Amino acid sequence: MTMSPQSTNRLATAASIALEPEDEDSAPKPRRNVSGRLSTHVMDNRTAYVMIAPMVVLLGIFVWWPLLYSFYLSTFEISFYEDPVFVGLQFYGYVLEDPDFWHSIGIGALYVLYTVPVIMIVAFLVASFIRTCGIKLAGLLKTTVYVPTVVSAVITSVVFVFMYRADGGLVNWLIGFVGLGPFAYLSDPNIALPAISVPGIWLAFGITTLIMLAGMYDIPQSYYEAAQLEGANFVQRTWFITIPLMKNVLLYLLVTATIAGMQQFELPLIMTQGGPTNSTMTPNLFIFNQFKDPTPYATSFSLTAALLLFFVLGGVSMLIFRLIRSDKAIDA
Amino acid sequence: MHKRITRLTTVGLAAAAVGILLAGCTPSSGGATTEDGKSKVVFWQQKFEDYQQDWFKAQVAEFNDSQDEVEVELVVVPADTWDQKLKAAQAAGKAPDVKTTSYGNIKPMQANGQIADLTGLMDDGAFDDIAENIAPFVTIEGGVYGYPLLVEPSTVLFYRADLLAAAGIDAPPTTWDELLDDARALTKDGVYGMNIAQTAPDLGWSSWGLQYTAAGDLPLRGDWSEASAVDPAYEDLAKFYQTLYSEKLMPQEATYPYADCSFFGEGKVAMSACGSWALGQISANPDWAGVWENTAVAAFPSIDGDPTQPTSTLGGWTLTVDAKSKVQDGSAEFVQWLLADDTDRLVDFFTATGFSKYPARVSVTEALAATPEAAENAFLATITEDIVPYAKAEPSYPWDVSIAFATSLEKAMRGGDIPAAMNEAQAAIEDVIKKQKLAGTGGD
Repeated sequence: MTMSPQSTNRLATAASIALEPEDEDSAPKPRRNVSGRLSTHVMDNRTAYVMIAPMVVLLGIFVWWPLLYSFYLSTFEISFYEDPVFVGLQFYGYVLEDPDFWHSIGIGALYVLYTVPVIMIVAFLVASFIRTCGIKLAGLLKTTVYVPTVVSAVITSVVFVFMYRADGGLVNWLIGFVGLGPFAYLSDPNIALPAISVPGIWLAFGITTLIMLAGMYDIPQSYYEAAQLEGANFVQRTWFITIPLMKNVLLYLLVTATIAGMQQFELPLIMTQGGPTNSTMTPNLFIFNQFKDPTPYATSFSLTAALLLFFVLGGVSMLIFRLIRSDKAIDA
Repeated sequence: MHKRITRLTTVGLAAAAVGILLAGCTPSSGGATTEDGKSKVVFWQQKFEDYQQDWFKAQVAEFNDSQDEVEVELVVVPADTWDQKLKAAQAAGKAPDVKTTSYGNIKPMQANGQIADLTGLMDDGAFDDIAENIAPFVTIEGGVYGYPLLVEPSTVLFYRADLLAAAGIDAPPTTWDELLDDARALTKDGVYGMNIAQTAPDLGWSSWGLQYTAAGDLPLRGDWSEASAVDPAYEDLAKFYQTLYSEKLMPQEATYPYADCSFFGEGKVAMSACGSWALGQISANPDWAGVWENTAVAAFPSIDGDPTQPTSTLGGWTLTVDAKSKVQDGSAEFVQWLLADDTDRLVDFFTATGFSKYPARVSVTEALAATPEAAENAFLATITEDIVPYAKAEPSYPWDVSIAFATSLEKAMRGGDIPAAMNEAQAAIEDVIKKQKLAGTGGD
């Protein structure tokens, strides 16, 4: 399981609610009363605390402690054989002024731009179609669109490398019928990134479709019936009923797809190794490559770059949440 | 009271569970022993050609049977994730006791205290047998930090004698201009005239020899105080790659990496730059028998035809013992048994390579030359006499320098402006010098 920034965000919200004082406008009470209230509060909610304790402990061990320790380690030039040298925030400076780091963030953003809108639109259309189908056909379609999700990204990459080959690849064979090509898709810096985006879309759209479909099934059928009685057509029903009521689902999918896109790693690793001329060097692949040299510098640089990427991704998530205000769905 | 006890019990149980969980996650420290009381030595071998895995596996089994004190566990690790896996293992305190290490990594690893000095762990006589030109690759200030297994030139010109003859070319090219002319003449009927590295990760190491012939040195030279990527001589190198790619004299996509000579084996190219190891690859593939019959090799052309100029680096592999290993004696015993004792064991290995790799020990070289297979081998003399004596050692500077230069070469190759690309490389290498504090640390 991965800890998405979104879930940390929810945790932060939950934590802030939990920490809010109960009576803000009441005057300060004597200490005994406060401690008395606190113990009453603890006693009243002890079952809840016991229930959340395992999760808090696990998050502490596997998320918060490693994260804090990573920040601590990033202030050293780490060696696994000699004493680490304290360098303060030096490596943050190195990463932030490295044009290759920012270039990789740009590549990640471009990959998101190529994949996420297509995934969202295609998944929405397919989900809308499946919703209108009968139970048996819908079941078949749901299984079919889910298949890419269970195929390993590594296998997909290898298959697409064969499909894209300039000598005898399936894609060049197909476009040959209309007199085009052959193109060396993965060797041209201008089309390599769009080329690896296609398997990226193929891999992600199935699960996105199913989640959208679950959101659509949650919308009461009576809304649509009422709209139909009023004479609303499909586009109007989609625009005024489906999309507004699925706002939270769409927001969730948008954030997770964006973060997953920025973190894309296997496709460029296997299909292009980040090339040609770094045109598919996504942030995670860049960090992975920095980890190569057997020097303390390489270790500390990749660690710091990974931590900074964490902030970049957190920033992107916050930006999306800010731009699309997350509201509670009305009634649904 | 009863409730309190229950709660305390619950807390205790939870703490115990977490403790057990953490204990399960804690890496076991090295220096373990096997059930029958032998010291356990973990040996990571980078995955090479299949016959090498077979050889290592057979030798490890023989070593384990030959004595009762050390049990070697062989782990084969794929090359493309080797560096990252090794570093992760080091971070977890589970680094292998013995591992394959390239010559280029000996100095940076020694500088960081990662590998043990073998002089105190192995017999002195073992070091006297290392060839004079190879000893400096593993020796630092009197200490020997890796025991060499083999050397292999990273750039050799493979060519199809039949296709050259058909095109009216009577000898392999000796200058870059001749090579380009020949490639133009040979590019026809769906066959490219030439194949050479075309991606930055491959160009990073396969172009070192060509960097030497173009400019007489590498873009980071001397004591590593300043970058020399804007040396005008490198523009000729970039132009050479650019011409091959832009005139479509070579495959337009890297279906196979440089180390894999399949383009040549499949008959898709008439000439190919590749490491000497490709001799083993091509001869071992029954589907390529037709190509193999017509395969010939020559030293890769120098820029101006001088055959004594280096056009290749001498790569190769050693075995190193980890500095933190708790079984250094047992590890060194294994290395000595495998690489430094019995010459026949290594003669068998080099014969199995199809003479595509070359011994690092004098006695093994002599024993190998005396075998009938060596006398019959058509390529041995070319490589040992025309290439190896002039080849240079791999640079020991950080890979960041090589990849920065190679990225600029790749940009130029794909049609980019050459001076601009070289300026980028210059800036990137200067950045590496500054941040990795390289100034004054060079000198090889």
